[in-house]
Amino acid sequence: MTDLTAICALGATEPRRETFGALTLAERPDTALLSVALRRGAAQPAPLGLALPGPGAWAVGEGLAAFWTGPGQWMVEVPGKADTDVVATFLPNLPGCSLTEQTDGWTLFEFSAKSGATVGRLLERLVNLDTASLAPGRATRTAVEHMGVFVIRRAEAELAVWGTRSAAESLWHALSTTARRMETSGWAQQ
Amino acid sequence: MTRLSGGLIDRDRTIAFTFDGRAYRGHPGDTLASALLANGVRLVGRSFKYHRPRGIFAAGSEEPNALVELRDGARREPNTRATMAELFDGLTATSQNHVGPLNFDLLAVNDLLSPFFAAGFYYKTFMWPRAFWEKLYEPAIRRAAGLGRLAEAADPDAYDKGFLHCDLLVIGAGAAGLAAALTAGRAGARVVLADEDFRLGGRLLAESDLLDDAPAVDWVAAAEAELRAMPNVRVLARTTVFGVFDHGVYGAVERVADHLPDPGQGVRQTLWRITARRAVLAAGATERHIPFANNDRPGVMLAGAMRAYANRWAAAPGTGGPVTVFTNGDDGHRTALDLAARGVPVAAVIDTRADAVAQGDYRLIAGGMVSDSKGRLGLTSVEVTANGRREWINCAALGVSGGWNPNVHLASHHRGRPVWDAGSNAFLPGAGGPVGLVPAGACVGQGSTAQALADGARKAAETLADLGIAAGQPDLPKAEDRSTAAAAFWHVPGRKRAWVDHQNDVTVKDIALSHQENMRSVEHLKRWTTLGMATDQGKTSNVTALAVMAELTGKGIAETGTTIYRPPYTGVSLGVLGGGDSGAHFRPRRLTPTHHWAAAQSAVFVEVGQWMRAQYFPQPGETHWRQSVDREALAVRAGVGLCDVTTLGKIDVQGADAGEFLNRIYANMIATLKVGMTRYGLMLREDGTAYDDGTCARLAEDHFIVTTTTANAGPVFRNMEFARQCLWPELDVQLISTTDAWAQIAVAGPKSRALLDRIVDGFDLSNAAFPFMACASLTVCGGLRARLFRISFSGELAYEIAVPARYGHALMARLMEAGADLGVTPYGTETLAVLRIEKGHAAGAELNGQTTATMLGLGRMVSARKDSIGAVMSRRAGLAEDRRRLVGLVPVDPAQKVVAGAHLFTEGAAQDTANDHGWVTSACFSPHLGHSIGLGFLEDGDQRLGEVIVAANPVEGQSVRLRVASAHFVDPEGGRQRD
Repeated sequence: MTDLTAICALGATEPRRETFGALTLAERPDTALLSVALRRGAAQPAPLGLALPGPGAWAVGEGLAAFWTGPGQWMVEVPGKADTDVVATFLPNLPGCSLTEQTDGWTLFEFSAKSGATVGRLLERLVNLDTASLAPGRATRTAVEHMGVFVIRRAEAELAVWGTRSAAESLWHALSTTARRMETSGWAQQ
Repeated sequence: MTRLSGGLIDRDRTIAFTFDGRAYRGHPGDTLASALLANGVRLVGRSFKYHRPRGIFAAGSEEPNALVELRDGARREPNTRATMAELFDGLTATSQNHVGPLNFDLLAVNDLLSPFFAAGFYYKTFMWPRAFWEKLYEPAIRRAAGLGRLAEAADPDAYDKGFLHCDLLVIGAGAAGLAAALTAGRAGARVVLADEDFRLGGRLLAESDLLDDAPAVDWVAAAEAELRAMPNVRVLARTTVFGVFDHGVYGAVERVADHLPDPGQGVRQTLWRITARRAVLAAGATERHIPFANNDRPGVMLAGAMRAYANRWAAAPGTGGPVTVFTNGDDGHRTALDLAARGVPVAAVIDTRADAVAQGDYRLIAGGMVSDSKGRLGLTSVEVTANGRREWINCAALGVSGGWNPNVHLASHHRGRPVWDAGSNAFLPGAGGPVGLVPAGACVGQGSTAQALADGARKAAETLADLGIAAGQPDLPKAEDRSTAAAAFWHVPGRKRAWVDHQNDVTVKDIALSHQENMRSVEHLKRWTTLGMATDQGKTSNVTALAVMAELTGKGIAETGTTIYRPPYTGVSLGVLGGGDSGAHFRPRRLTPTHHWAAAQSAVFVEVGQWMRAQYFPQPGETHWRQSVDREALAVRAGVGLCDVTTLGKIDVQGADAGEFLNRIYANMIATLKVGMTRYGLMLREDGTAYDDGTCARLAEDHFIVTTTTANAGPVFRNMEFARQCLWPELDVQLISTTDAWAQIAVAGPKSRALLDRIVDGFDLSNAAFPFMACASLTVCGGLRARLFRISFSGELAYEIAVPARYGHALMARLMEAGADLGVTPYGTETLAVLRIEKGHAAGAELNGQTTATMLGLGRMVSARKDSIGAVMSRRAGLAEDRRRLVGLVPVDPAQKVVAGAHLFTEGAAQDTANDHGWVTSACFSPHLGHSIGLGFLEDGDQRLGEVIVAANPVEGQSVRLRVASAHFVDPEGGRQRD
C-alpha cells in the first residue's frame, strides 16, 4: 500500500457534498471505472454474471454496474474499488476484451432528490436531451456547459454525471449553480 | 386618473412606481404603458431623429414609441417597451432620447432642421474627410440620434438556459394557440405552449366579445387550468419565441424575474432551446396605422390598442377626453363601440369608405380622412377632410385602424418569403419557411375569433396526424366572426410629413425621396431610409411602406415584394444568449493533477487551450519572469527539474492489429518497436503536411500508449477513431483516451535517475536495464502502480513518470521532498520551451500546419517501406520541392534579440515577398548560452550554416543580423540523454 495520499478531483482529500433544498450533489471518488472494448470476433462476456447492456442503457449487478458507450464498448463501474488496479482484477472476467483503467480519467458526481420531477427539471437545464428518454436505467454521452459527460439515470430521483477529471471544478460549478438556482426558484423542493 | 371600471387588474392591491422621477400608482395586471395611460401620462419619449414628442402607440411588443430605460444603476435597461414591462412595486422608468426635460427637449431643434435630415442624409453628409468618421461624426451622431443609455456597469443578474423537447410547440396563446394546445394536449401529444404575455389569452383579453355567451376570460381560464393540469403540456408564459433555427430548434426567452423588483439569487431570464417535431405558429396579427400629416403626436394610437387599454387595463386612452377613430374597415368601429360602452366620449369615427355605416350611437364621417393634427406635447385636435370640406375636431386621442398585418416573421426565418394576398390586403406566410412550422389563426389571415379557434384546432390535428398522433377536435366555444377586412387605403396624401415608421422617424416623404434617388428595391429602400431597422423590425410600418413604394413605382404590392425577417423577432439581451457564466467560469477550464500544489508554490499560470498550466514558479526576490525561467532552466541542466506534462494527450491503443494500425497512422515505422520501448512518432495530414508529433510506447505486443501534443490531444484521437471506424474497420484495434487518467511528471536533468531511484520500488534504472527510450509498468512509493518512460524533451537525461491522477499531487510533493539535496526544481511551460528550443525540438510553432517533415529535418522519418496517412501526398512536387529547412539562429551581436515571427532575408536583399527566405518560428533567451537564440525555417537552410542573414520585423521597424546555426544548441550528439 502506497504511503502517498490521494486527493479528490475537486482538490481536497475528502469528497465534496452540497445540498440545495431537496437536491443533494455529491462527489464520489471511490467508484472505479473501467473501459471494456470487445476485440474482433470475441464473444460478449458477462462479468460477474452481469449482462452488459445495449445502446443507451445502464445495468447494475453484484458489486458492479455497466453502461453502453458504443458498439461493443462499455464502461464498468466498480464502487469502492477506485484505488485498485481494476484492469488486473477484471482481466479474467472479461476475456477477449481490451481493458483500460479509466478511474482517474473521469470524476463522478451524483445528484439525489426526493422526486423524479426535480431530476427532470434539473436535466432540462443541464443537457440537450429529451428528459423523457432519460428514464431510470438509461445512460448516454452528452455535454454539460461544453464539457463532455456521461449521464446515468440510476433511479427516478438519482442522476449520475461522469465528467472529465481535469474539468471537475468547472463541472461542479455548472452543476451546483444550476442546482442552487433551482433551489432559489423553488424548484428543488421535492 | 383616467382609470375606467372593470378590466383585468387587481384593484385590491396598489403598486407604486416612478416615471421620470414622478411617483405614480398602478395595479397588479398593469403594464408600465397601461399604468401611465391610467395616470393620464401621454408624453413618454422623444423620437429617434427629430426628437418629436411621442406617446404610447400600441399595446404589445410592436410598440415603436414608448421605449424607456427601465430600472436604474447596473440594472438599467434601455429601449424597453413600456407596453411589455409588467408593473411591479418600486418600478423605475425614465424616458429616453432628450437633452433637458422631456417636455422641453433642446434637441427638438432637429425637427426644425428636418429638411436637412431626409433619407440618406448621413450617407450623403458625413463622408469626408475620412479621418472624421470615428472621432467626430460617429460620436456626434450617436449623441444626437441614440435611444437609451447603457448601464455601463457589469450586469448583476443571473441568466440560465435549458432544453425542451416536444411533439408540438405552440407559439402564442391567443384563440388559435389555445385551441391548438388543447387539441394536442388532449390527444396526449407532448406540447409546449409559449406566449410572450404574462397572461394567456392574446387578443381575447383585449376584446369585449363573449365566448359561449360568457366573458372570454372565463374560457381562457378554463383552458389554461386544463392545460396546466396535463402532465404532457408545458405552459410558458412571459416567453417569447424569437427565432426558428435548423432542425426544428426554436429559440425562446422566458422572462423569469423581469416582473419582480429584484430577482435576488434567482435567474432573471432563461434561454430555452426547444426541439419541436412540429410547431403551430399562432402569433396573431399586428394592426397597421394610416400615415397622415403629423400623425405621431402623443395620443395617436392604434385603434386595437385603445380597445386593449380600455377592456383589459381599464385605462382611458385620452386622459378622459374625447376620442376619435380613423379607420378603413369595420375594426375601427369596434373601438368606438367598446370605448362608448365604457363611458369614454367618442367625438367621431372617420371611415375612408364612402359607404361606411355607423354601428352604434356615434358620429360617423364616411368617405373621410384625417389630414392633420395639432397639439404640441399631446393631441388636441385632428383635421378631417371629407367630401371636399375640412373640419377640426377636438379630441385627446385618435385611434387609427388600417387593417391587420399577420405576424409572419417567424415563418420567414428560413428565407420563407411572405406572399401578398390581395383579398385580405396582407402578406401571408409563404412556402419555403421553416419545415414543420404551420401558421394558424390571425397570422395566416384567419383573424376573427371563430376563425382563429377553428384554425388552431384544425392545424394542430393535421400537424399531429403527420406524426401519427390522432387528435379529435375540441368543442370550441361560440365566438364572433366579423370580417377583419380593410379597404386598401394606405396613407393620406399631403405635403406635410406623415410618419410611416415612428421608431426610426421615416415619413412618406422619405420613401418618396428614396424612390426619387433610385432606391427602387425594397432592400435598398429599407437601408436608405432606415425603415424597419433595429429593434423595431418594421412591425407597425413595413407593409405600409411597401404600399407607399408600390404606389410610387406604379407596381402592385405583390410585385414590389417585401423584405424578410431574421431572428430575433423582438430584442433579446446578450446576457441571456450567453445563458451562463461570465468571468472566471465563462468557459470550462482544465486543471492538472498538480494544479493545487503549483498554486501553493505561487506558480504563475497560463491558459493553454482549456488547460491552466504552471508557466513559471517565481521565488522570493525574483522580480521579472526571466529571472525565474533562467533559474529553472539552468537548474534542469545542472541537476534535476520537475514539470507536470499531464496535458500531453495520451491514447491507449490495444488489439491484435494495433501495430499495423499505428504503422498507418504514423509516418514512421512503429510495428517493429520492441515491447518495453518507446519511439518518437510523426503524423502527417492527409495532404502530406506535418500534423502532430509525440511518442509511442509499447507496453505489450498488443498494447501501445500514444502521446500527442497538448493542443492536438482531441483532434488526433478523433482522427484515429475515424481511421479505426471508417478507413480500416477490418483491423482489430481499440482506442480510448487516457489523458486525464494519469498524472505525468517530467523528471529531467543529470540527477533525474538519482531522484527516481529514491521512489521506485526496487526497479533497476541503470542505463543497461532501462536505456534511453525504454518504458515500463512498475510501482513506486510503496506499491503505487505507475508507468515510466525514458524520454527527453530537454536533451538531458530525463524520464516521464505517470501515476493515477489522484496521486499526482502527492507524487510531486514526494519528488520535491526526496530531491531536496539534489537541488530539485519545479519548472513551468516557459522553461519547457527554453529547454526544447535549446535542444532544437519542434513544437507547435514549427508544426503549424504549413510545414513538412522534410522542412523539419525529419524527411527520412516518412517511411518508404510502408504506406501511412499523408505519405504519398508528402512526395508531391509542391511539398517535396520546398527548400526551407529548420535551422538555429543566433544574433551576430549577442546583445540583440531574435524575434519570433520576423522574416528572413539575405543580407542586402530587398525586404519584399519575392526575397522572403523564411521566418523565425520560436525564440527565447538561452540562459545556457547567455544570449538570445531562435529556430526558423530558412530557404536552403541546411546549406547555409554560418551565413549571416537578416531577420526583419517591418511592423516594428526592426532588423537584426543573425548567424545561421545548427538547431541543436545543446549536446548536438545526444550523449546526455543516452548515458
